[in-house]
Amino acid sequence: MQHEYPRNGELTHRSFKKPKLSSEFITESDIRDEFSHHQPRVARINNGSFGSCPDSVLTAQRHWQLQFLRQPDAFYFNTLRDGITASREVIKGLINADHVDEVSLVDNATTAAAIVLQRIGRSFAEGKFQKNDTVLMLHCAFQAVKKSIQAYVTRAGGSVIEVRLPFPVNSEEQIISEFKKSIEDGKSNGRKIRLAIIDHITSMPSVVIPVKELVRICREEGIEQVFVDAAHAIGSVKVDVKEVGADFYVSNLHKWFFCPPSVAFLYCKKSTSSSDLHHPVVSHEYGNGLPIESAWIGTRDYSSQLVVPAVLEFVNRFEGGIDGIMKKNHDEVVKMGKMLAESWGTNLGSPPDMSAAMIMVGLPSRLCLNSEEDAVMLRSHLRDRYEVEVPIFHQASEDGEEGVRDKDGFITGYVRISHQVYNTLEDYEKLRDAINQLVEDGKTCKMLYTE
Amino acid sequence: MNGTSAPAAVPPQPLHITPAEVISEFSHHHPSVARINNGGFGCCPSSLISFQRQIQMQWLRQPDEFFFNQIQPGMLRSRNVIKDLINTDHVDEVSIVDNASTAVSIVLQHMAWGFAEGRFHPGDATVMFHCAYGSVKKSVEAYFVRAGGSVIEVPLPFPLNSEDEIVQEFRQALEKAKQSNRRVRLAIFDHVTCMPSVVIPVKELVTICREAGVDHIFIDGAHGIGCVDVDMKQIGADFYTSNLHKWMFCPPSAAFLYCRRSSESSSLHHLVVTHEYGNGLARESTWIGTRDYSAQLVVPEVLEFVNRFEGGIDGIKRRNHDGVVEMGMMLAKAWGTHLGCPPHMCSSMVMVGLPACLGVLSDEHTWKLRTYLRDKFGVEVSIYYRPPKDGEVGPLTGYTRISYQVYNKVDDYYKFRDAINQLVHDAFTCASLPNS
Repeated sequence: MQHEYPRNGELTHRSFKKPKLSSEFITESDIRDEFSHHQPRVARINNGSFGSCPDSVLTAQRHWQLQFLRQPDAFYFNTLRDGITASREVIKGLINADHVDEVSLVDNATTAAAIVLQRIGRSFAEGKFQKNDTVLMLHCAFQAVKKSIQAYVTRAGGSVIEVRLPFPVNSEEQIISEFKKSIEDGKSNGRKIRLAIIDHITSMPSVVIPVKELVRICREEGIEQVFVDAAHAIGSVKVDVKEVGADFYVSNLHKWFFCPPSVAFLYCKKSTSSSDLHHPVVSHEYGNGLPIESAWIGTRDYSSQLVVPAVLEFVNRFEGGIDGIMKKNHDEVVKMGKMLAESWGTNLGSPPDMSAAMIMVGLPSRLCLNSEEDAVMLRSHLRDRYEVEVPIFHQASEDGEEGVRDKDGFITGYVRISHQVYNTLEDYEKLRDAINQLVEDGKTCKMLYTE
Repeated sequence: MNGTSAPAAVPPQPLHITPAEVISEFSHHHPSVARINNGGFGCCPSSLISFQRQIQMQWLRQPDEFFFNQIQPGMLRSRNVIKDLINTDHVDEVSIVDNASTAVSIVLQHMAWGFAEGRFHPGDATVMFHCAYGSVKKSVEAYFVRAGGSVIEVPLPFPLNSEDEIVQEFRQALEKAKQSNRRVRLAIFDHVTCMPSVVIPVKELVTICREAGVDHIFIDGAHGIGCVDVDMKQIGADFYTSNLHKWMFCPPSAAFLYCRRSSESSSLHHLVVTHEYGNGLARESTWIGTRDYSAQLVVPEVLEFVNRFEGGIDGIKRRNHDGVVEMGMMLAKAWGTHLGCPPHMCSSMVMVGLPACLGVLSDEHTWKLRTYLRDKFGVEVSIYYRPPKDGEVGPLTGYTRISYQVYNKVDDYYKFRDAINQLVHDAFTCASLPNS
C-alpha cells in the first residue's frame, strides 16, 4: 500500500491516503509482513517492556530521517515544529485533552517523571515546600520513578510515603482501601503531601489501577498534585485525561501505540503551576512553555515524534481501530493467561477486569523461585534455552500473610504475559511447554545457575 | 574456490577514499543546495546511516535481548573510542549524551545543587562570553542564576586580530569578579565560538582561571571534535563537551561529556533518572529509558570512516581548514570585504564580511537574508549581525559564517559569491525584505 508522505513541510491530512477499499481491513498476512523484522522463532510475549513498531511506520520514520539529513537547516526552520504540532494534535484528540498546549512530547515516561520531580525538588530548594513535606508513591512504582524521587525529592529534603498494594489482588476495593489507609498513615504526623504518583497500569506486578477513584481520593485528602504514570496506558486501556482528572499524565507511545522508539506524551492540566514546568535539557526555547521547550532540546533525531499521524493510519487499518486492537489484545491475553494457569495448576494475579493487554500468571511452586536473582535467572534460561521472552516477577511473602498455593506449595513467582497484534497461540504454547518441561525435569531455579 | 584454480587478479584497493566515493557517501544531500553550513547541523555519510539502521533493526528484532546483552558493551566500545580520540586515561571520565546542550544542563544542574546544598553562596559568579550559544545562556539562567548565582559576561572582540584581545577581556572579567568580592564557581567558554565563529585560546584561558582560583572550568567544545585539536590533558579543563554529529560524521545525535576525575565527579548526574542512578554519570548516561541509542553505538564505525581519508581525522581537519580559509579569502576579495579573524584563529569555519550596502542592521535581518539566500539562490549559510560600537566609523555590520566539510566543492562558494554579487548589483537591502 503506497503512502504519500509530506514533502517540504506540507502537512495536510490529505497527504495521508486512506486505503483504497475502506471496508478492507488489515489481514493476518499483512500483520505478519508488518512485523517480519521480529526475530523468528522467539515467542515474544513481552510487548509491555519495549513495545513494537510495524514496518510501514518504520518506513515513514526513515522518510523523516532522510528529510532532515538531506537539508537539515530547511527542515529545522520549515518542517520540524509543524510536524511535532501535528503529532500533538493527534494525541490531544486521542486523550480528550482540552488544549494542544497541554500536550508535550518527550522521549519516555522516565523523562516525564524527571520533569515533574525536578520541579518538586526546586520547590523544596526555593523554600516553597518545607523539609519533610512528602511525596506519595506506590511501593511497586517503576524503579526509574523511585530513583527520580530519590534524586530530586529526597535529596532536596522531602520524604516519601510508599503505598503497599496487595498482590495477588482480587478487586479494586482492595486497592482503594489500602490507598486510603496509607494516606491516613502518611498524614498522621502532620506531614503535607505535595504530590501523589499513581500508576495507571503497574509494571511489576502488572495490574490496572482504578486511577479515577484514587485521584478523587487524593483531592478529598488535600493532596496538592497528582501525577499518573501511565507508561503502559495508551493503546492498552482507554485514556481520557479529563475523566482521570490528574494534574500530570504520561504515557509511552512506543509501548502499545506502535511508535518507533521513542516517544511519549506528557499531559499537564492548565493551571498556574504548569507554567513553571521545564524540560531539564535547556535550549534557547527555555521559557516558551513545556511543549515548545520539549520540541527542541538541541540537535537530535526527532523522527519518532513525527510519525504519530502515520501510526494513526496504521491502527485504523484494524477493525475498530485502536479500540478494536485493545479489545482483542485484552480478550486474548486473558484467554492465554487462563490457558497457562490451568496447564500449570496455578492462578492469575488479578481478575480479568483488572488487566488490559498484560496479565500475571502464577508459576508452579515446584520451580522454587525464591528471589529476584532467581527470577532473572529463569528469564535468561527461558530466553536462551527455549526462545521465550517473558518477564518474571518474584512475589516475596509477607510476614504473617497466607500466600496463594498450588498443589505443591506457595506460589512465589509470576510471569507477565503480553498480547499484541503480532502474537499467536504458538507463542503461549511455547511458554506453557517450556515451564511444564522444567517441572517435569524436576528443575528448580537454583539448579539453573550451574547450567 | 575449492583450491583448484589460480585466484583471480584483484585490482589494488585504493589506499584512501576517492572523490567519487565521497560524492556517493553524501549523495543524499539536496543536490541543488550549496550547503556551506556544516557547523549548523553537521552531516552523516550514507555508509554510517546504513550501520545505524542495522543497529536499529537489531533492537527492533529482539529488544529485550539487545537491552540485556548488547547495549552496555556497545556503549563501552564507543566510550573507549572517544577516550582515545580525546587523550584521556580513564574511560569513566567519558559519558555519551545526546548533544552539548544536554551536557551543559548536566553540569549546570550540578552547580545548582551547589547553591541548594550550601556549598555555594548567593551571588557567587559564573564567567562566560557574551556570545555564548543561546542554549548555554538559557541553561545558566535556568540553573545557575535561578539558584542564586550571578553572571559576569566577557565581551568577545570582533573582528579580531589576535588571541591576546580575547585573553585581555577575559582577565578583566576575572578582575571584575575579584573587585566585587564574588567567588567564581564556574568559568564556561567555547572552544570554537558559534556566532561569530573564532577559535578561542582555551589552554591559556584555563591557565588564567586556575591562577585566579576559579572552582570549575567547563569548555563548550560543541564544534570541537573533528574541527580543532581536542586533547583533554593538554587543555586541562574540568568539563569538556563536544558534538560528534557536527564535525565527526555521527548520525544525529551523539556527544561526549568529559568530566575530569575529582572528588566531585561521582556526584554529577544525568537529568533523566533511571535505575542506573548512582552508578556514575557515564553509566547513568548509557540508559535514560527506552530510546533509540543507535547514533551513540556507531562511534567505532565512525572512526573507521574517517580513517578512510588520508591522514584520518587530522587530515580532514587540515584540509577543511585550508579549504575554508581559501574560500573565505576568495569571497572577501570578490566582495571587497575582509575575514573576521586571522586564518590561524579559524577552524573549519570562517567569518567573512558582507558588503555594507546589503544593510544587515539587526538580528532579524540576518534571518531574513538567510531565508532569502536559501529560497531564491539555493545557498544555505549562516549570517551574523555585528552591532557597531560607539565611535566606530563605517564598520561592517554583516558577516557570513562559511563552513567547509569533505563534501563541499568550490562551486558551492562560487554560487554564494555570485548570489551576493547579484544582490549588490540589484541594489538589494535587507530592509526591503518583507516581514515573515
